[in-house]
Amino acid sequence: MLDLLTEVLASAPARCSYAEARHVATDEEDLLVRNGRVDHVDSTSADGVGVRVRAGGGWGFAATREVARSGIEHALARALAIAESQPAAPAGPLTAVAPARGHWSCAYEQDPFDVSLEDKLELLFAAEAALRGDPRIVRSDAACASRRVRTAFASTEGAACTQQRVECGGAVAVIAVDGDELQVRSYPSAHGGSAAYAGWEHVLGFDLVANAPGVAAEALELLSAPACPPGRATVILGGDQLALQIHESIGHALELDRMLLMEASYAGTSWVSPADLGALRYGSERLNITADATLAGGLGTFGWDDEGVAARRIALIEGGVLRATLSDRGSAAAIGLDRSGGCARADGFARQPIVRMTNVSIEPGAAGTLAELVADTDDGLYLETNRSWSIDDRRLHFQFATEVAREIRGGELGRLLRNPSYAGVTPRFWSGLDAVCSASEWRVWGLGNCGKGEPGQLMRVSHGTAPARFRDVQVGVA
Amino acid sequence: MREAAGEGPLEIAERALALAGAGEFQVTVVRERSLMSRFARSVPTQATAVDDTSVEILVVRDGHTALTSTNRLDDDALRDSARRADAAARAAARSGPGTYPGLAEPADPPGHSGFDADTACLHPAHAGAALRAVFAVAAEHGLEAFGTWSAGAVRTAIASTAGVRLDEELTDTFMKVVARDAGGRSGFASATAPAAAGIDPSAVARRAALKISGEPLAELGPGAYPVVLEPEAVGVLLEFLGRLALNGLTHVEGRGALSGRLGTRVAAPAIDLADVPGSPRTLQRGFDGEGVVKAPLALIADGVAQAVVHDRRSAALAGGPARSSGHATQPGGSPYGPAPTNLVLSGGDAADVGELAAPVERGIYVTRLWYVNPVREKETLLTGMTREGTFLIEDGAITRPLRDVRFTDSVLRLLDSTQALTSAQRLVSEGEFYGRRFAHGVVCPALRADGLRVTGATT
Repeated sequence: MLDLLTEVLASAPARCSYAEARHVATDEEDLLVRNGRVDHVDSTSADGVGVRVRAGGGWGFAATREVARSGIEHALARALAIAESQPAAPAGPLTAVAPARGHWSCAYEQDPFDVSLEDKLELLFAAEAALRGDPRIVRSDAACASRRVRTAFASTEGAACTQQRVECGGAVAVIAVDGDELQVRSYPSAHGGSAAYAGWEHVLGFDLVANAPGVAAEALELLSAPACPPGRATVILGGDQLALQIHESIGHALELDRMLLMEASYAGTSWVSPADLGALRYGSERLNITADATLAGGLGTFGWDDEGVAARRIALIEGGVLRATLSDRGSAAAIGLDRSGGCARADGFARQPIVRMTNVSIEPGAAGTLAELVADTDDGLYLETNRSWSIDDRRLHFQFATEVAREIRGGELGRLLRNPSYAGVTPRFWSGLDAVCSASEWRVWGLGNCGKGEPGQLMRVSHGTAPARFRDVQVGVA
Repeated sequence: MREAAGEGPLEIAERALALAGAGEFQVTVVRERSLMSRFARSVPTQATAVDDTSVEILVVRDGHTALTSTNRLDDDALRDSARRADAAARAAARSGPGTYPGLAEPADPPGHSGFDADTACLHPAHAGAALRAVFAVAAEHGLEAFGTWSAGAVRTAIASTAGVRLDEELTDTFMKVVARDAGGRSGFASATAPAAAGIDPSAVARRAALKISGEPLAELGPGAYPVVLEPEAVGVLLEFLGRLALNGLTHVEGRGALSGRLGTRVAAPAIDLADVPGSPRTLQRGFDGEGVVKAPLALIADGVAQAVVHDRRSAALAGGPARSSGHATQPGGSPYGPAPTNLVLSGGDAADVGELAAPVERGIYVTRLWYVNPVREKETLLTGMTREGTFLIEDGAITRPLRDVRFTDSVLRLLDSTQALTSAQRLVSEGEFYGRRFAHGVVCPALRADGLRVTGATT
């Protein structure tokens, strides 16, 4: 395929200043056992080529499922016609890049597509059965997903590389209803569970069967638990909720295309500007954030991004001070950087690369274990597992709800509280960070539903987190 | 290996059905051709053309379904896809009988006018002309333009062993413009239509430009305020209502907002909400993902809840007289349940938003909502922000620009507090096309409701 892509692109330089072609072949399988029955067994295979060109300052992109020479040539011609039909645009620079060459694959032990359907369903049936037993549980789900993506990328600048990613994830979840009260509980995290670039061993590691009874019990307990009271409180965020907090209020805010207003009509802009680099205090001195596309297992891990830029680890925030942004070749060049942040990523063959998070993580702190952090907290709340999220188009004012909260009194976890929520303004919230648990508590959480771009693209990203404590947080807002 | 040149979606579906062998199969073929041009700072930024065809093969075994999808159209790929679906359904069936009631029986959908041949050409020049027109209007007003122009032609065919043979092609066009001044003030407008000729890019840009005011920003603290919502904002709320309250699966499971409330008053008497797939004002559809023919369905009449929508899966769970209402979002039904696709909220008597605002002493005028998500599903409690055109209403007039606010409120409570609606309705859409292009929108008026719960504001 690489040779074919390269051969087709050979004709492009006569009509454009740059062209790239990306072949993507995706296999996916989603299994769901619900309420004692197999609810869905879905599998998808998609195969196609996307061609992106730059002509006279304008960009054009065309995608086709026809992966033979004629199909790719037609896509190239279509991309050129689109670029040429655009109103004139200034030809901004692109950062230089060493041509990507070679092959990269993520590490995994057991290919999930080698595990039989029967074995997968047996695991899900056992986990789902352990959720049931109380008539107030109106829905019990056990699910797993497997994904394999193979790409080939070539460009008129000499790139010719291939990559393979294998992904796995799984989860159990229940919905409990009693009258007008509805509660949700999930494990290991909400929204379909935590996935990773890994093999079937990643799903087995969750031990869904052993954890299921506790998930159901907490959902039932929440039905009659007292509501989370409104006010201001010290809050400890569990690792999975902290992952989404970082995602929404740091990751997206540091996308350089947003800062440059390129996403103003959809995803929005940012409260941060390029002029803030090196000077803006984003949060407390305990805040250290990295974007690491080399992180083992992360869904934002690769050999090269979708512009052929080699994976790298970048310090975004050090000691609470902004140091870098997430960028691609065009946005980096637009602010005078000589190197892309390597964050150009595309969702499948039919979408073009845009600035995306890789694995944006908070570095471990020195607060010890979660138990030790709770013991160090006189009065507060421990919040876990996201239930609702919303943030403004500048990534400044946010409001989140979690599935569960526990009171902290005198350094010990206490009562369960239902319908917990909290709100804040990004820099004030992160200024309240006063403790991050140590490396022993640090986990990587995979999110598979990050929406951005037009037409819409769902990207997979990961966030490494350890539970962390925030002072003076507005809680009980919904 | 065979992939016939010029073969249409229904022919592909019939070929796949023949290759599937014995069993209960439904083949759905969707061909998307689409073009989208984005712009920012009055300069084109990205343009995406998609030409893709997917073949979904659904098999039913002992009440269990399995679904495979491929975009390879040769015989070997289709045969393999059918074989994998059948093996998966057999594996599922070993756990005992399932609840899926089987494939839909054949029926003839009514004709509609949801296809425009000129739009289906997807000529790049159409996009270029739209962008030039918007840039010119923005320049006239001393503003920069941001946004999207997009058109699509999606043809869907279904063939099943139950004898279903369906084939329809739909077109849609969407444009949105955010106009922005040098100080960062911005205004929004959008338009959706089945045909490209139904959208005037210059008019959309002018509407967006008129939402920008240089006056100082007013601020409102947390509290409950009368609100006038433009159709774009109403449409977002109704889409969530569809998901949380009108979804037959959530209803059957007792977790829907209308569970136990059908036949009771759930909204103000002025609220008449229906799903009207054949209305020429909507993006029309003849049938759903299970090949069930669509028909008009009253959902809330005079404020009284009438019905929820069903696919075949949720209708079977509901039992009794429940039947699919033609709202399956995928073959075999989605794990998330059915969804209305052509909501129409009837208009009222108000001539325009100015008349809606006239009785309001102090309230909020909202152009667009953003990042709306459920907080508590059974209450239809949502949170979200206003964006690009939020104004203060003072003494009956829309006056000063207002700092964007966060709301946390229930859709059903807002509909119950609705006091007036404009007579004019508009087809609105968010124009988001994740995955395969599935254009849908809501036809609705602007409305005034009491007591929007504001829980915060931007800084």
